[in-house]
Formats: sequence, C-alpha cells, structure tokens
Amino acid sequence: MAKRNVMRSLIPMIALVLLAACSSGKKSDEQAFLESQDTARDNGPTIPEEVIGSILQQIPSPLEISAMLKESGSRYEPGLLNSPDNLPKYNSNYKKALNLGVFGTDLGYTNIYQKSKDGIQYLSSIKSLANDLNIGQFFDIETIGRLAANSKNLDSLLLITTQNFNNINGYLQNQRREHLSVLLLTGGWVEAMNVVSQAALATPSNKELQEKVGEQKIIIEKLILLLGFYKDDANMAGLLKDMQSLMAAYEKINIVYTYKESTVEVVNGVAVIKDNSSTTIQITKEDVKSISALVGAMRDRIIG
Amino acid sequence: MKKVVIAIFLLFSVGLSTELAGQCDAESYTSACIPKLATGFNFLKSYKIDGEGGTKDKVEYSYVFTKGTQYMINLCTPGANVDGIVVSLYDANRNKVASSKINGQVVSAIAYPCNATGIYYIQYTFDGSAAHCGGSALGFKR
Repeated sequence: MAKRNVMRSLIPMIALVLLAACSSGKKSDEQAFLESQDTARDNGPTIPEEVIGSILQQIPSPLEISAMLKESGSRYEPGLLNSPDNLPKYNSNYKKALNLGVFGTDLGYTNIYQKSKDGIQYLSSIKSLANDLNIGQFFDIETIGRLAANSKNLDSLLLITTQNFNNINGYLQNQRREHLSVLLLTGGWVEAMNVVSQAALATPSNKELQEKVGEQKIIIEKLILLLGFYKDDANMAGLLKDMQSLMAAYEKINIVYTYKESTVEVVNGVAVIKDNSSTTIQITKEDVKSISALVGAMRDRIIG
Repeated sequence: MKKVVIAIFLLFSVGLSTELAGQCDAESYTSACIPKLATGFNFLKSYKIDGEGGTKDKVEYSYVFTKGTQYMINLCTPGANVDGIVVSLYDANRNKVASSKINGQVVSAIAYPCNATGIYYIQYTFDGSAAHCGGSALGFKR
C-alpha cells in the first residue's frame, strides 16, 4: 500500500520533470536563435499569422518570370544575376534571408534556361545561407546537384527546388519566423524584377516584357503590405521605404480589367477554361526606364 | 507497477488512435497530386483541403495569376473519384471564372489559360463529400 502511494506521488513528479526538461531544452534552442537575430522579432506585428501567411502565399513564383523571359526569346544573361561569390558579404540574418531569396531566383533562372553548370555554382551558397538561418535541412544538396548534372532532369530539378522553398516558407510560418519568409520572398522578387526590367529595357519593342514590368504593381502592393507589418524594425523600414518609392513610380501605370464570363469544355477529364476576361496594362518605355533604375538601386543595396 | 505502466500505455494508445482516425491527412493527398500535374506543367504550390469532418463548408487560398500563362489545378482525394470536392476560381471581384463542376459532373482538374493578370481565389467546396479531405496542386506552363 505504501509502495503504491509512493508510486502515485512519483508519476506526476516524473511527468513534471520530463515536461520541464523538454520545454527547457526547446526554450534554450529558441532563445539561442532569437539572440542571433538582428531583426527585432519582439517589435514584430501583432496581427494573426494567418493574415501574413495568406498574403505570402499570393506572391507568384519568380520561376514564372524566368519561364516568360525564355519563351519571349530573351537571351540568357548570367551577368544580370548575383554572383554566388558574394556570399561572404552576407553577415546578418537580414542579408542572409534576402540573398537566399535572390540566389533562389538565380538558381531557378539558370534551371529554366537549362544552364545547369551555372546553377550548380549557386547550390553551395544557398545551402550555406540556409544553414545559417537554421533551415538547411530543407535543402538536399546532393540530390539537387545530381539532378542538375543532367539536363534531362530539368523537370525534377525545378520540382524539388520549388518544393524546398515552399517547405521553408511553410516551416518559417509555423515557427513564427514569418519575417524571414517576407525577406526571402522580397529578395527573390527584386532579383526577378531586375532581370525582367533589364530585359524590357534591352528590347523596347517587346510589348510583353513591358507589360510584365507593369503588372508587378499588384505584387508591390502586397509586398508593401507585408513589410508594413514590420516597420518598427530598421532594416524592414528601409526596405519598405524603397518599395514605397518604387510604388510612386507605378502610380501612373494603370491595369484595366474587363470581366467577361468564361466558357468551358471537358477534355480527357479536365475542365479546359476559355478565359474571356482581359487586362490591359498601360505603361510607357519611359516608365520602364524609371522603374528599372529604382529596382536596380534597390537590388544593389540588397546584394551589396 | 507493471499493470500501471500497461494501463497508461493503453490509455495513450487508444487516445492517439482515436485522434488519428478523425484527422484529415491532407499532406498525403497534396503529395500525391504534384506528380499528377499534366506533362509540361511546372509545379508551383500545393494546397491542403481539410473540411474538418464537415464543419467547414469551404477552404480557400489565393494567388496572383498572370496573363499569358496557363495554369492547372488538380484534386486528389480518398478513393477513386474526387469525393464531391469542387474547385472553383474567382477573380478579385469575386466573379466566378472557372469550376471543376460542369453541368452536374465533377472533374478532377481544371486548366486555365489566364488572360487577365490579378489576384484569384482558389476555393474548394464539398458537394456531398464523405471525407471532406483532400489535396490539390497548382502548376503552370507558358
């Protein structure tokens, strides 16, 4: 009976000790990470994480811009990309997250153009930045490197790298480190925007490229919204200011949407839609020029 | 002592298995959907569809679609067909632009060649669904 009583009092105590051990270990890791952050998380937004998550998921993949560039006949321009050798410049978590996004876009660009040798150059820099941000577990560099070594594996390579970046964003949001996701997406978008605006400048007769620059107004609005949540942080406030200057250059650009009911037919079990709606993007060559100058300056501050 | 340990283990096991039985493993369906995107489409996003056993009447995501790009959204659910899950696409003004339910027939994918850049809402609803659970993938091609 006495033995049973001892056991009864011991079980909750053991449970408490185990709980304390588990939670203190977790707190220690988290604390260590937080201390290494130079982005003031404590000053972060008080809005629900779902709101940030839902805006983040709207931002299109830079891969779409790269695919459009290739299809439009734009030449492969490695000189427009950030050099992976710039890695040692990125000493703060702010810069690391931004440039992880930049390098991610560059990797996607090289993959779309099937320049796998160039793509491989980015892998170690990506892995290094991801490791420093405690998200290195999402990059299986060996697999990516193996796929990149063979141009026949392009589809698998694009798939696995897209999945990796999606998983990182999901993980960061679950970990309440959305600010890093915001930086990653912002860096990736600025890099893609720089490439497309430079391509538009180089081929002023290409209306599609001009329109692509113009329609980024929708994305800038989203990025301003996201960065605004973190405006109490000096780094984020700087980015926000840059983005607002860019938005000012977009004020003259109009995106005119006309809705018309779509039609549909079923082909091999797939509903194939005929979209009868349209958008017209009103943008001039001068607009492209001023926008590309602003984007270039912003990008220099990010990669410098 | 041995009996106490066994009893605790059984309590945990029963509790855990009951919880798992009621859960929607949407992740496994999204994973299954990605390779089912039609040839030529590049994977962009995967979406979990968890109707929480019927307590939710819709699950919604949003994405910026771009003029000149063709998108495909497919569905994966328990069983062979789509289990009454319908995917619909709405523009920023909430006009319906696409649906996987056509004249009462529900198909497992929609192909949408976008002609108007903007925010679109990808909405999943449950039309006589048994599991209220599934996954979906979004892909693009130029």
